[in-house]
Amino acid sequence: MKIRVERDGLADAVSWVARSLPSRPSVPVLGGMLLDANENLTISGFDYEVSAQVNVDAMIESTGRTLVSGRLLADITKALPNRPVEITVDGTRVTITCGSSRFSLPTMPVEDYPSLPELPQHAGSVTGDLFSEAVAQVAVAAGRDETLPMLTGVRIEIESDRLTMVATDRFRLAMREFTWEPGESVTDTAVLVPAKTLADSAKTLGGSSNKVDLSLASGDGLLGLSGPTRRNTTRLLDAEFPKYRQLLPSETSASAIIDVTPLAEAIKRVSLVAERGTQVRLEFSDSGLRLTAGGDDEGSAEEELPVEFTGDPLAIAFNPTYLQDGLGALKTDRAQMLFTTSSRPALLKPVGEDGEVTEGYLYLLMPVRLPG
Amino acid sequence: MRCARVLTVTIPVRTLSRVRLVIARCKVDYVGRLHAHLPLAQRLLLIKSDGSVSVHSDDRAYKPLNWMSPPCWLIEDAGVWTVQNKSGEKLVISFDEVLHDSDHELGAEPGLVKDGVEAHLQELLAEHVTTLGQGWSLVRREYPTAIGPVDLMCRDAEGASVAVEIKRRGEIDGVEQLTRYLELLNRDPLLAPVAGVFAAQQIKPQARTLAEDRGIRCVTLDYDSLRGIEPDEYRLF
Repeated sequence: MKIRVERDGLADAVSWVARSLPSRPSVPVLGGMLLDANENLTISGFDYEVSAQVNVDAMIESTGRTLVSGRLLADITKALPNRPVEITVDGTRVTITCGSSRFSLPTMPVEDYPSLPELPQHAGSVTGDLFSEAVAQVAVAAGRDETLPMLTGVRIEIESDRLTMVATDRFRLAMREFTWEPGESVTDTAVLVPAKTLADSAKTLGGSSNKVDLSLASGDGLLGLSGPTRRNTTRLLDAEFPKYRQLLPSETSASAIIDVTPLAEAIKRVSLVAERGTQVRLEFSDSGLRLTAGGDDEGSAEEELPVEFTGDPLAIAFNPTYLQDGLGALKTDRAQMLFTTSSRPALLKPVGEDGEVTEGYLYLLMPVRLPG
Repeated sequence: MRCARVLTVTIPVRTLSRVRLVIARCKVDYVGRLHAHLPLAQRLLLIKSDGSVSVHSDDRAYKPLNWMSPPCWLIEDAGVWTVQNKSGEKLVISFDEVLHDSDHELGAEPGLVKDGVEAHLQELLAEHVTTLGQGWSLVRREYPTAIGPVDLMCRDAEGASVAVEIKRRGEIDGVEQLTRYLELLNRDPLLAPVAGVFAAQQIKPQARTLAEDRGIRCVTLDYDSLRGIEPDEYRLF
C-alpha cells in the first residue's frame, strides 16, 4: 500500500474515527484504525457497539489494507505540518512521511480485525442541520444513570413522514417532531438509540446542508447514520422506553412569554448562591417575574425581569441546571412557559420571530419542592 | 511520678504472633531513598508480628509518621532500635525514655465486616429478581458450586440458567470470581449453558470492560429503589 493524501482531510478523518474507538480496548486490534486504500482511502474504527467509517480523497499508488494504533495515528496526524502526507506499508511497518518528518509505526494483523456491520436498510433522510439540531435539543434530557438503561437513550419514532425524537431522565423530558423524507420501504417503528453516541454522531455528521441518511434494522438492533463521506452504526438499546405521552399536560392554567437570554443570565447569576444548584424560585405575577435563590444561611439573591404573564400569580422552583438546559435547547430568542400548579410539570416551548409558539419542540420540566 | 526505664539490652526472642506497643520519648531517623527526621517527642511505636514497625503521634486516625514495611528486621541496642529492610534502608529510633512497653496476642483477624449492604442487596435482588429481566425467576440464593456459592442462580424468561454475582462495588476481582463460577457451572450438563450477570451498585470501567469481553452482562443496582425507598423529590414518573 502506498498513498498520498492531503494533511487536513486526513487529520479530520482520523480524529473523527478516533472519537468512537474504545478507551479500553478488550482486544488490542479494537484500538486500531483500519486504513483501506482502494479507489480512495477508507478509514474505519469499530468496537462491536459503534462503528465509524470515513472516505478520504487520496492518490492511490498501490492499494492495500493496514491496521495501526488509532490513538497514535490521531496524535500524529494532528501534529503534522500542512503538507501532503505519504503513507506506505512495508511488511509489518507503516511509514508516514510529511515534509521532513517521518514516522514508522508497527502494524497489527488486519485479518484479526472484525468486519464492520453493513449499513442496514435505508429508512429515510433529513438535512444535516435539522438532524443535528433536533438531536442536540432532545439528547440534553437523556439520563446518565446506568441503573435505568432505558432512560440513557433517545427514542426515535418513525411514522411515515413524521419523525419524533424524545428523551427523559424522569426530571425533564424533551421531544422534537419534524417531517423528513422517508425511504420507500420504511415501516412505522420506534427504536431506542444510546443518547451519547447519537449526540456525538449527529454533531459531526450533520452541519452544513448535507443530507443525513438513517438506516435501520430493528431486528438486528442496529442503526446506521451516514453523511456524504462519513458513516456510523450503533447498537440499539434493548429496553422499554416509558409511556411518555401521558406525561404531557393536556391543559395549563398560566402562561408566560419571556426573553430567553436575559432569563438564562439572571438564573446563572442568582443560582450562584444556590448551594450546589439546589433550586431557583420563580414568582410570576402581572407585574413581572421575580427570581430568587439561596437563603439566610448561604446568602440570597434576587432579580426581577419583565414578562408577559397571563393567569393566577404563581411561585414555582426549579433545578437551575435543568431549567438552563431547557432554555438553551429552545434555540429561539423568546420562550413560552406553561404552568398548572407549583408541583406539576411546566412546559417550555420556543416562540418564533412572529411572536407565535413554534410547534415541534417541547421541554417538560418537573419543578422541585418549594421550601416550607 | 513516671515509671520509666531505659532499654538496655536486646529484648529476648518474642513469640511472633504478638503485637508490641511501646510509648516512648524518642527521635526517629529514616535513612534510605530519602532522609527524614522526627525530633524528640513522645510517640507510640507499634511492632507487629510480621516485623513491621510504625511510629504514631497523637493525631487523628491517620497513617504513621514513619514506618518500615515487612520484610524487615528490628535490631535492639541500648537506647537505639534499628529497623532495616532488604535494600538497606533504616529506621533508627533513639530512645530518651520508655514510658510503656507491653505485648498482646490479638489472635486471628476475622476481617472487615461491611455494613451488610452486600448481603442485603442479595436478599433484595432475590426478592425482586425481575429487576434483571422480565419473566426471570429465582432458583435459589447461595447456589453451591465446588469452589463456593454463587450469590443467585436464576432462570431467564426462556428458562436458561443465569448465575448472578452481587457486589457493592464492581471491580475486576468480582468479575474473575464470577468467571470461575461460570466455568464450573458450565461443566454441569443439566445447567449449561449458564450465562453470567455481574450486578453492583457501581461498576468500575475496567471491570465492565472485562465482564463484557467475557460475555457477562453488567447491571447497575439502585439500592434505594430495590428497598422501595422513593426519593421525596418531584419526578415526572
